[in-house]
Amino acid sequence: MEQIKVFLDESEMPRQWYNIQADLPTPLRPPLHPGTGQPIKAEDLAPVFPMNLIEQEVSTERWISIPEPVLEKYALWRPTPLYRARGLEKALGTPAKIFYKNEGVSPPGSHKPNTAVAQAYYNKVFGIKRLSTETGAGQWGSALSMACQMFGLQCRVFMVKVSYNQKPYRRSMMETWGAECIPSPSDRTQTGRKILAEHPDSPGSLGIAISEAIEDAVGDPHARYSLGSVLNHVLLHQTIIGLEAQKQMEKLGLYPDVVMGCAGGGSNFAGLCLPFVRDKIHGRNVTIVAAEPTSCPTLTKGPFRYDFGDTAMTTPLLAMHTLGHDFVPAPIHAGGLRYHGMAPIVSHLLEEKLIEARAFDQVETFTAGVQWARAEGFVPAPETNHAIAAVVQEALRAKEEGKEKVILFNWSGHGYVDMSAYDAFLSGKLTRYELPEEEIRRALAATDAFPKP
Amino acid sequence: MENHDILVRMDALETRCPKLGHQVPFGYCRKESGALPCSKALVCWSHRLPVELVLRKFLGDEAYEAVFNGTPKSRIQVLLEAIEAAKERCGTASDRP
Ligand SMILES: Cc1ncc(COP(=O)(O)O)c(C=O)c1O
Repeated sequence: MEQIKVFLDESEMPRQWYNIQADLPTPLRPPLHPGTGQPIKAEDLAPVFPMNLIEQEVSTERWISIPEPVLEKYALWRPTPLYRARGLEKALGTPAKIFYKNEGVSPPGSHKPNTAVAQAYYNKVFGIKRLSTETGAGQWGSALSMACQMFGLQCRVFMVKVSYNQKPYRRSMMETWGAECIPSPSDRTQTGRKILAEHPDSPGSLGIAISEAIEDAVGDPHARYSLGSVLNHVLLHQTIIGLEAQKQMEKLGLYPDVVMGCAGGGSNFAGLCLPFVRDKIHGRNVTIVAAEPTSCPTLTKGPFRYDFGDTAMTTPLLAMHTLGHDFVPAPIHAGGLRYHGMAPIVSHLLEEKLIEARAFDQVETFTAGVQWARAEGFVPAPETNHAIAAVVQEALRAKEEGKEKVILFNWSGHGYVDMSAYDAFLSGKLTRYELPEEEIRRALAATDAFPKP
Repeated sequence: MENHDILVRMDALETRCPKLGHQVPFGYCRKESGALPCSKALVCWSHRLPVELVLRKFLGDEAYEAVFNGTPKSRIQVLLEAIEAAKERCGTASDRP
């Protein structure tokens, strides 16, 4: 029987994370403080992150040892298997060989615990008793809840209220792992109380939940805040994915021509790809592609800016790809990937032309996800479907060109807690048109009579 | 039909929110950022509603431009601003371990 999985023994698990900051051809531009215009200093972040993580954030050491207690926890689901997607190759009739790293085998079902466990550990050794965070869909909140339980930390998750009500099973997961999951806005913070006083029925928002989680951490000397993507140390922790994948590909005697991942904040993409970017910097010929939604095309349409966010010049300066004012949005909506701002490291690599970005629309990604589920069995997360759409495109291109390309991608998570999105897709609701435009236009002609929001 | 009724019907329409990963009503997107709309509202709704028209009428041009034509804040910008605001609310907590 043909081999479709490559396992590593636990003893082969990488002992160090890879820090791309050591190999970048030009250094990352530091974020600047809004007040002073100077690079952000450790003190600016100290109220919310422990100093050992802030040190990692700015470190230029190439290899950073993974602490033994973190390795022990990783071993519950790591090393993750590398699969060959034979079913999809056959369904597409492509000569390409498609490989994927299955990060959906972690207990909460995605790559998120790779950093959640590391962050919980570093907070624990720094003497912190409790972590606070926000969550929208619940993936990150559940990963951090599990990680805190593993290291005996308390965990408080502010979950956007509309999601708290709509996604009861993510909340149940967090509570099962011992965390306190609080619908936001809540009465735990001044921010929440103010909003509740003015709008008792507020459904919340990620912005409110972030403010609550940060206020909660700043107001308690024994607490800190935790973020699941974007920051340098988060991407660092995820590199275990790519380091394992390199060993697994080596066992097969193969090296990928193309490496791909979906990019929201950038952490799972970077986790798989950064070790391959290192090879590329050192002369290897490998194409590295970030897949993002057309509804949020940060990398493909957003300009790279090092600028103030407003004319009053009060916001921090940051070099990153962002959706600027010249962006004309596509007339569609897409699911899953949430941040409009990309991780500084990923933005920088795009500027350096070490990686590429491609955008995919919602219908294309769910079509690819369903094709995947039918060919490979596993149901992917809606975010992961973006990577799969990119892989399908690349595999079909290989077919046209008649090339036996080797494609590797990060299967960042399973979709079993996201079945309502599949329901919507399968029943055609994602593109449904309900209220006749003509009727709305007519109504809007006389908007003076509209109530003010 | 009265304009108010149309608005009520529009507010009840649902689409999948790319930030939250589930269905949300238009009324949520219209007020996601305090009393202001979510910066993604145009992208998520333009296939179903003349959303620019609706929001311009509701917000006025100035607020509309500020929400949709300003440079969006990065996650780190949001974080730093939230830290500053929280420090003001809670004191600087210099007794931290
Ligand atoms: C399964 C999965 N993949 C990808 C992402 C996107 O995030 P990031 O780009 O930070 O990896 C998420 C975010 O929640 C996710 O849950």
